[in-house]
Amino acid sequence: MIRHLFTLMWNRKRANGLLVLEIFLAFVVLFAVGSTGVYLWSNYRAPLGFEYEHVWEIDMNPGNQPRAEQYATLQRVLARLRATPGVVTASRSVDNTPFAFSNNTTEYTAGANNPKVYGDIYDAGPELRDVLGLRLVAGRWFDRRDEAAGHRRPIIITELAQAKLFPGGESALGKAIHSTSEGDKDKEYEVVGVTGPYRAGGELSEPQPGYFSYVSPQDTARALFDLLVRVQPGSGAALEKRLQDDIRTTSGGWASSIVSLPEQRLTQLKLLLTLPIVLGVVCVFLLVNVALGLFGVLWLNINQRRSELGVRRALGASGAAISGQVLGEILVLTTFGLVLGLVVAAQFPLLGVLDVKPGVYLAAMGLAAVGLYALAAGCALYPSQLAARIQPAVALREE
Amino acid sequence: MLLSYLKIAWKVLLRRKFFTAISLFGISFTLMILLVVYALFDYTVGPHQPELRTDRLLFVTRMKLVYRDGGLSNGNMGYAFLDQHVRPLKTPEKVSLSLGNFSTVVAYVGNQTLKLDRKFTDGEFWQVLDFDFVAGRPYNPREVHDAAHVAVLNETTARRYFGSVAGAVGHQVVLDAVPYQVVGVVADVAISRINSYADVWLPITTTTDNLRNPEYIGRYQAILLARSPADVDRIKDEYQQVMAHVPVPDPKRFAKTESYAHTVLASLTSRFTNEGAAEGGVGRFTQMGLGLGLLFLLLPALNLVNINVSRTLERASEIGVRKAFGATAGRLVGQFLVENIFLTLLGGVLGLALAAGVLALINSSHFLPYAHLGLNERVFGVALGIVLFFGVLSGAYPAYKISKLHAVRALKGDTGS
Repeated sequence: MIRHLFTLMWNRKRANGLLVLEIFLAFVVLFAVGSTGVYLWSNYRAPLGFEYEHVWEIDMNPGNQPRAEQYATLQRVLARLRATPGVVTASRSVDNTPFAFSNNTTEYTAGANNPKVYGDIYDAGPELRDVLGLRLVAGRWFDRRDEAAGHRRPIIITELAQAKLFPGGESALGKAIHSTSEGDKDKEYEVVGVTGPYRAGGELSEPQPGYFSYVSPQDTARALFDLLVRVQPGSGAALEKRLQDDIRTTSGGWASSIVSLPEQRLTQLKLLLTLPIVLGVVCVFLLVNVALGLFGVLWLNINQRRSELGVRRALGASGAAISGQVLGEILVLTTFGLVLGLVVAAQFPLLGVLDVKPGVYLAAMGLAAVGLYALAAGCALYPSQLAARIQPAVALREE
Repeated sequence: MLLSYLKIAWKVLLRRKFFTAISLFGISFTLMILLVVYALFDYTVGPHQPELRTDRLLFVTRMKLVYRDGGLSNGNMGYAFLDQHVRPLKTPEKVSLSLGNFSTVVAYVGNQTLKLDRKFTDGEFWQVLDFDFVAGRPYNPREVHDAAHVAVLNETTARRYFGSVAGAVGHQVVLDAVPYQVVGVVADVAISRINSYADVWLPITTTTDNLRNPEYIGRYQAILLARSPADVDRIKDEYQQVMAHVPVPDPKRFAKTESYAHTVLASLTSRFTNEGAAEGGVGRFTQMGLGLGLLFLLLPALNLVNINVSRTLERASEIGVRKAFGATAGRLVGQFLVENIFLTLLGGVLGLALAAGVLALINSSHFLPYAHLGLNERVFGVALGIVLFFGVLSGAYPAYKISKLHAVRALKGDTGS
C-alpha cells in the first residue's frame, strides 16, 4: 500500500514538484527555528551559578588623574564604600562583569599530555565569592594565604574546566596548570579551589569552562575600576546617590555610574532575545502561509479528482480508505520534501557550521520532521474528509 | 482591454473568496514584514532629523591601526588627531568634532535617578546637523571655546527633569553633581542615529578627557558637511591624501594607519563589521540584505504559484474558449500576469496598512527609545517595487503553464496535469 502510494506520487513528480519544493523550504524554516530554539533553551536550562539579586555594578572613571595616584584613591574609595551602611561587601573586577556583553577568554592546559581548554577568565578578589554567592565544590576560595607571593600563583577553576582539563576524572585540587599563550607560558598556576558553574554571560550564553585568576587587594598593576557591590535588600536611589556622592568626594572628582545586575540582565535579555523573537514571528507567518496554501491546493485537487475518487467508491473502496489515500499521498509528498531538507540540514553538524554541538542540530531535525508531518496531516485532514464524503452516484453523473 | 482584464480579475477574486483570502493573507503579510524592515533601515540611514542632508554629510568615525605582525586595532578617533588633520580640510563647508559614542551621566530628581546619555560636541555640531529646536537655542562656538557650562536637552529629558519644556530653558540641570545651564531643548533623537543621538549635549571643552592626547585611536568622531552632493567624493579624496601623509604612530609596532570618510550607511556598517575599507562594507551589506529578502520572498511566492496553478487550471474551459477564438499564447500570458499583479497590488495596499499598524505598535512600545517610525515616500516606492516584483515572480509560471494548454483538451476540461 505504502509502496503503491510512493509509486503514484513519483509518477506525478513533475506536477507535484513545486509542492515538494514548498514543503522542503518549510522544513528548512522549521529547522532554523528549531535549532535556535533548542540551543537557547538548553542554555537557559543550565544553572547560572551566581546570585544577581541585590548586586550592583559600579563603573568608575578616574578622568585626568595621573595613573600613579589612582591606586591609593581606589583604596580610599573601597574603604569608604565598605563602611557605608547598606553595603554588604564590595569586590574589584574588570569589565567582564555579569550580563555585561564583555568577555575575556584564555586557554589553559595541565601539561603536554592533557588537552588545552579554552574558557572565560575572570579576575577575582577574596570578596567576589560573597558578593555573587558562588558555590565551592572543592578546595577553598582566595584568602589571605594567597597574598604571600609563592612560586605558584593560585587559580580557581569551575567544575566544567576541571572535567575538561583532566578527562580522567581526577580532582584538580593542588595540580598545576599553565596558560598556553606565548607571553604567559612559564608561569605555573596551582588550582586551590573548584567552584560550581559561573556564567557571567547570562542565561542565554553557552556554558563554558571558567577560570578565576587572583587579584590581590594590594595589586596595583592593573586599576580594575569596575566594582561589584552586594547591598542590603530594599536599597534604592537614595543609596545610589549616596554612593556616587561618596565616590566623588573621597576620590576628588571621579565620575561613576551604578547599575543593578537585575536591570543589566533585563537589558541583556531584551537585546539577545529581540532577533530570535522577530525571526520566530516571521517563521510562524511563513508556516501559516504554507499551511493555508497546502490546504487550498489539496482542496482544489480533491475537487478536480471527484470522478476518479467516485469510481473508486463505486468499486467498493470505503470512505476511510479514500481519506487514508488522500492523507497518505500528502504524507508521501512530505517525505520527499523532508528527505531533501534532511540532506541540507545534515550538512550543519557534518561541516560543524557555527560551532554548535551536533546534539542541538539532531534535536532540531527531529522537531522539524515531527512539525512538518503534523503540518501536512493537519492541512490534509479536512480535504481528506471531503474526499471520503463523495457520493459515487453524484460524482459519476457529473462526468 | 486592460479594463476588461481587471473586470475579469475582480470577478475571479470574488468567485472563491476563501482562496482570495489565502492569497491576500500571504501577500500582505510578506509585504508587511519587508516594509517594516525597510522602514527601520530608512529610519536609521535615510534623511531624518537631525541628519537631514544625508547626501551632503560625511562621517570620519573609525581609525584602524595595522600591526607589523598582522594584528589590527580598531576604534573611534583621537580628538587631537581630528583637530590636527580633519578640521583643517579645505573641501568641506563645515567640520564638527564630537564624542563618537555617548557616555552615561546621572541626574537626580527628587528620589528618582535619571540615567542620561551624554554627548560632548563643539559649536559647529548644530550647524552641520539639523536639530529641531523646541525651545531656546544651540550653544555657539564662542561658548564652547570658553568651556561654558551650558547644555542642550532633548524633549523627554526636559520634561522628566523640569516637568515641562517651557520651564527648562534658562534653568540649571545638575549632571554628576556639576551644574549646567540649559540653553535649548530639541526634539527627541532616536538611538538608531548613533552618530548624533544623546539625551543631553554638552560643550566638548567641559569633558574631563584629555583632549590633547596624541593617540590616534580615541573616543571621538568628525562630521563633515559638503557644499554640494557632488563635493562628497572630493572630500573623500582629500581625506585620503591627508591620510597618506599622516605619520604612522609607532613604526616599530605598526605598519600603517587607515581611516576613511564614510556616508551614514557606511559609517554604521564599518562600525559593526570593523571593515574599514573605503566603502565600509556597504556592498556586502547590500548583497546580504537583498539575498535575505529574496530568500524570504521565495516561500510566499512559491505558495502563491501553487495556489495560482491550481486556480487557473480550474478555469481550463474558459482558456479553451479563448484559445479556440484565436487568443495567442502571449496574450493569455499577459492577461494572467495582469490578473496576478492586480491581486498582489490589492495585497500591497493591505500590506501597507498592516505595516503602518506594526510601526505604530513599535513606536508605542518604546522598544527603540524615541523612535518615530512611519511610512514615507521612499517606503511607498519600495512597496510598489516589491509588489510588482512579487506579482511577476509568482504569476510568470502559472501564466506560462496556461499558455501551453492545448485548446481542444482545455475545452474538454482536461488540464493534463
